[in-house]
Amino acid sequence: MSEMRDMLANTAGSVFAALAMQSDVGAAWSVIMDAGFPSLLVAEDRGGVGGDWGDAFAVVRLAGFHRLALPLGESMVAASVLSTAGFDMPDGMVGLADGVAGEFHDGVFSGVLHRVPFGRHLNTVIASIDGHLLVLQTAGAVINKGSNLSGEPRDTMRFERTRAASASYNSDLRALGAFTRVALSAGALDAQLQMAIEYVNTRQQFGKPLSKLQAVQQSLAVAAIESAAVNSAGQAAALALDRGPAVFEVAAAKLRSNIAIGQAVGIVHQVHGAIGFTEEYPLHPLTNRLASWRSEFGSDRYWADILGATAARWGGSGFWAELTRRSDGFGDLSHV
Amino acid sequence: MQTFVYTPFVVPECAPELRVKLREFLKAEMPDVPPARKANSWSVVDRDFSRALAAAGYVGMVWPKQYGGHERDPLERYIVLEELLAAGAPVGAHWVADRQTGPLLLRYGTEAQRMQFLPSMARAELIACIGLSEPGAGSDLAAVRTTARRAAGGWRINGQKVWTTNAHNADYMLALIRTAEGSQRQEGLSQFFFNMKLPGVTVRPILNMAGEHDFNEVFFDNVEVPEDALIGVEGAGWQQVTAELALERSGPERYLSSYALLTHLLGLAGPEPGELLRGKIGHLVAELWTLREMSMSTAARLAAGEDPVIEAAIVKDLGNTFEQTLPQSVQSLLQDHDMEGQTALNETLGYLLQMAPSFSLRGGTREIMRGIIARGLGLR
Repeated sequence: MSEMRDMLANTAGSVFAALAMQSDVGAAWSVIMDAGFPSLLVAEDRGGVGGDWGDAFAVVRLAGFHRLALPLGESMVAASVLSTAGFDMPDGMVGLADGVAGEFHDGVFSGVLHRVPFGRHLNTVIASIDGHLLVLQTAGAVINKGSNLSGEPRDTMRFERTRAASASYNSDLRALGAFTRVALSAGALDAQLQMAIEYVNTRQQFGKPLSKLQAVQQSLAVAAIESAAVNSAGQAAALALDRGPAVFEVAAAKLRSNIAIGQAVGIVHQVHGAIGFTEEYPLHPLTNRLASWRSEFGSDRYWADILGATAARWGGSGFWAELTRRSDGFGDLSHV
Repeated sequence: MQTFVYTPFVVPECAPELRVKLREFLKAEMPDVPPARKANSWSVVDRDFSRALAAAGYVGMVWPKQYGGHERDPLERYIVLEELLAAGAPVGAHWVADRQTGPLLLRYGTEAQRMQFLPSMARAELIACIGLSEPGAGSDLAAVRTTARRAAGGWRINGQKVWTTNAHNADYMLALIRTAEGSQRQEGLSQFFFNMKLPGVTVRPILNMAGEHDFNEVFFDNVEVPEDALIGVEGAGWQQVTAELALERSGPERYLSSYALLTHLLGLAGPEPGELLRGKIGHLVAELWTLREMSMSTAARLAAGEDPVIEAAIVKDLGNTFEQTLPQSVQSLLQDHDMEGQTALNETLGYLLQMAPSFSLRGGTREIMRGIIARGLGLR
């Protein structure tokens, strides 16, 4: 598996780096489609690449690292969920909705999908409501354009009595979305750290590079630790997803990632000084995306509440047994 | 760039069974101790318990059988360690020998040295301590001044160690000592392993701020040690000790020292706590889960024979921060009436509030860890 992952990562790295200059979403997306990334998690016998969640982490992490402005993680998750539910892969760009408000009866959906990533560009969007997976064609949606801090589309999509394909669905779609945010953040935090290291090794003050100041070294060590925590948590969550239902692990990884964003971004900006705060200097696309991802697919509060409730139910004497049972992959992993 | 090479901890198939067996053993054999002693339990010395644990095959687990070991998978050993710490078992008697001194002898010792010491370590009969710090050599370990000079039939040691954990319980010390006269810094250092009962060795207690006797001063006044007290290569002490320290930085003891308190907090919270408690517990759980995964990843790399220096420093620093934050966090949640009475929660919290400052000092300070990480980043 790891040889395939290395190959994937090499391809993803060069494809994403080359797309940095491509501002046309449609053109960029066709490059991504040609490379086969959206079907990464779809089994080979269903026409996909047959990768695992660790492969998905590696690729989406690089999308975060290279500031790829496309809903790649969302489309990967959507393709995986659709394929598992027995749907054929729709044509075009498929997205993932988190905030869903509305009603679904007799195959007809009326309601609103809030802040859908790249909503205006999507052909299809999936959402879950009341135990149903909805597959919505976006052609009939009324779109209210919005954006995140980095200017990426986050659109509200209103559907009136729209016929939707559906399947019964009892997994946590938000957790899968959260996993993509952990992977993106892992890459973006590493990219910021790299920029900070290059900057302090170059910038001279007090007659020497900033990196020679112990205060700067110690600060950046903390940023590196936080980034390491997110990268580890994301890969551990990927392994848990490969084992089975992993809402607990994804919840922990997403919360840890949110905490890290709060800590590391501040340090990276601090060592950059004023230049890092300018429009000209390319730190803000990472900063703004990280800020956006922290809120998406579950805030700190949301996931902390789920983790806290789970731990409380396990209790003081049951906590360790459950924690280890889950990582041993032993018994029923679905209940959180 | 990636600073932490994540390596999956491939769970041994026997893991569930291993845990069950060990938990049953602990239920039967673990002595009744006051609640606070279940926190930071790797500093609690109980020779009888360690011997019982060793007799059941849980000490020296990965060492070759000819040295009294059990040739188990290092990841099985990791599982045993985390189970022992999570249960608050008093493992302080054999911890250092099992973690550090035994592996060092396996790597650098002669066949005779291994045969002499490892079997008794694997039976938890030989307690080892480690002599590193000196009055003038704390974080700056290369400033070590204790000397060993050639003497008839061996070496003569003079000088002083300080902050030596368990020196008052230990049978043997592994010490870093200057062997080359006039040598500076990392050059001319060697490692020695010798009996604490030798004439000229004096141990004086230093009580810590919790009133406990855990560490000591150790004085060497013309201590005559035999030729074979030298471990490894004369003059290669620095390289040897650096490799040894990597083994002690990323284990489960670096994030679980305050774990007992989390169980008491969950007890206080009950099965359906309010939102504030759920949120705070959730934060602690996210940190704990992530740290465990990072520590296990580093264990997997060590098991593969790699030398994850940066990763180990990261685990130690982050883990220490967690085990220091946990008592503070629990304290912040308690109301007046929660603090009444001699409850397990109160005793454990009080003990940990006093002990927590030491967590990021022992085994290399936070600043040293961050310096190692900064070097890995190319900043030094």
